[in-house]
Amino acid sequence: MAKKKVFAISNALSNGIEETIQAAHDYSGELRVEVIPLKRIEVDPENPRDLALTYEDANHGIAKSDPQFERKEQEVESLRGIANSIRDQGIINPIVVYKFGEKYRLVAGERRTLASIIAGKTDIQAKILDSKPTELKISLLQWIENVERSDLSLWERLKNLEKIVVAYAEKNNLPNLEISVTELSNLIGCTKPHAANYKAVLDADDELKQFIFSNQIRSLEKAAVIATIKGFDLKQHALDECLAGANLKRLRGIAASASTKISHSKKPAESRGRQTTTVNLGATKNIEVAQLILDSILKNNALSPIAIHFKQVDWDDYRAINNTFKQLMKKLEELHA
Amino acid sequence: MAKIVVNATHKGGEGKTTNSIILAEYIALVLGLKTLIIDMDPQANFSGRYIKMEYDPSYKGGKIPALHPDYEPLIDKDWDGRSSIANIFYGEEVIPYPTSIPNLDLLPAHSIKLQEAEAVTKNDVVEKVHLQLKRFLELEDVQNTYDMVIIDTPPSKGPLTIAAIKAASHIVIPAQMEQFSIEGIYGMLQLWKQETYCRAANNPITLVGILPNQVRDIKLHKQFLSGLRKGKGLGDYVMPHVIKKRAIYTEILVEDANPKSIFELPVNHVARNEYETACRYIMEKVNHGEKKGVRN
Repeated sequence: MAKKKVFAISNALSNGIEETIQAAHDYSGELRVEVIPLKRIEVDPENPRDLALTYEDANHGIAKSDPQFERKEQEVESLRGIANSIRDQGIINPIVVYKFGEKYRLVAGERRTLASIIAGKTDIQAKILDSKPTELKISLLQWIENVERSDLSLWERLKNLEKIVVAYAEKNNLPNLEISVTELSNLIGCTKPHAANYKAVLDADDELKQFIFSNQIRSLEKAAVIATIKGFDLKQHALDECLAGANLKRLRGIAASASTKISHSKKPAESRGRQTTTVNLGATKNIEVAQLILDSILKNNALSPIAIHFKQVDWDDYRAINNTFKQLMKKLEELHA
Repeated sequence: MAKIVVNATHKGGEGKTTNSIILAEYIALVLGLKTLIIDMDPQANFSGRYIKMEYDPSYKGGKIPALHPDYEPLIDKDWDGRSSIANIFYGEEVIPYPTSIPNLDLLPAHSIKLQEAEAVTKNDVVEKVHLQLKRFLELEDVQNTYDMVIIDTPPSKGPLTIAAIKAASHIVIPAQMEQFSIEGIYGMLQLWKQETYCRAANNPITLVGILPNQVRDIKLHKQFLSGLRKGKGLGDYVMPHVIKKRAIYTEILVEDANPKSIFELPVNHVARNEYETACRYIMEKVNHGEKKGVRN
């Protein structure tokens, strides 16, 4: 007898269909990435610009009579690299714009937009927002765009970050720059140590900032180490060393010498949550380690009076070992009561 | 805002044109809504149902719309008397043709002009093709004149189909329950997904669903249909009603057919009943979003 036929849609096809529908649901109305004509993009007049170059300049060339001719020429030069890669590969990340009447106003991606014009493109991929985002959102978006740019100086990054902090503080009615490291790390999506470095440098004195501004100090980590040194002389010393080309390790060494001089207290760092009042001695699965600990303790002559209690331990039984250590703690506490 | 329903799938022979015809006639005849039908397919079959299409003397096999009934050669010096939807790609005026069905106007295809519009360079396609139909349908004149727009598309995923999808508020995918057809569904879903990514939250493109078409009482069709219905997430997008394979759906397309429309059949006729139920379902989905959002 012939085999009964069963017709089923192949797994690959039905999986593909499911994934497509899921993806459409997950991002509908949120992603809004479209290809838009470059000629319909304009800068937001309310946002400060770093570039002097205008769209007209990029399109038709810079007029010789332009008072900013040289600066603009330099800017075009600096955009050539991106323009070449856009010509070959297109842009990798879409720019961000919001709708303003018939036009689109830039939120992020001015350099990519100008470079696309220079590359001779007529349109560009853009993520489209429905309305103008808040100051905080704009500065955050600019931050995200900028962290991907390697040519951005530490000073430029700090200026951008300062905008974020000011906008955040305004939004939350905080006195200026009063932002915690945790808040900062959440805001810009980086690790806490990294955020701590940024915060330290943001709070740094003007002298240090001056060196960052003049691009004599380029490393965030180095700047952060110097910013956190308390003593004036030591700080000057660290600053001099840094300008002379000391590496991070050396600077940390200088900072460490400061902390041993200044703080002698062994008070544990403050922490949130329920207060910790006991010391947990940890746990191990390795019986040899437990044995080593017990032996080492009992070798202490001062403890010879209690050593007698721990002569016979069943080292094959975890429970018995635990009880032994409990007893040991009890005896030790009695001795040090 | 007028609702814009597109019948699309890049596989041929699935029933796009038939479905466009029956849905448009349902809306115009049964619901009595002012309806504009648009033929984006250079084959011009949809147009040929409502107006006389002439063979293009300059292009073998190509078709062009007949002279517009309002055309007066002595007065209209700046117009050759023919109007097609292809005009929007050339910056020319379009003038819908009235049809013999009340409430139903047609913007016919023009084979060569549509095909040439598709042949623009990659750099220009977005500006010159993809967005043109959307811009045209957003015109105040169009919006004030029509309640519904039905668009028939060519069997491709090319610029003309993309233009239709960019203009659409709703999309219907007619499909047979067969291997290549289901692969076609997958392709269309990709296009739909891509378009949802471009839309704002208040201007969605709603997938009304897949309309199982030309279904026969054979194991293959039954099992593919139940496979689709059981698909995770997909089940909601397979319409609850199926259109069976019936001679009447092709008979009404013949030139001197009688009846000419399935809506001229008695109300309880099995074919009319079947398709009307499907049309009602589509229109319920189309009107569902009415209160929720205002389209841009």
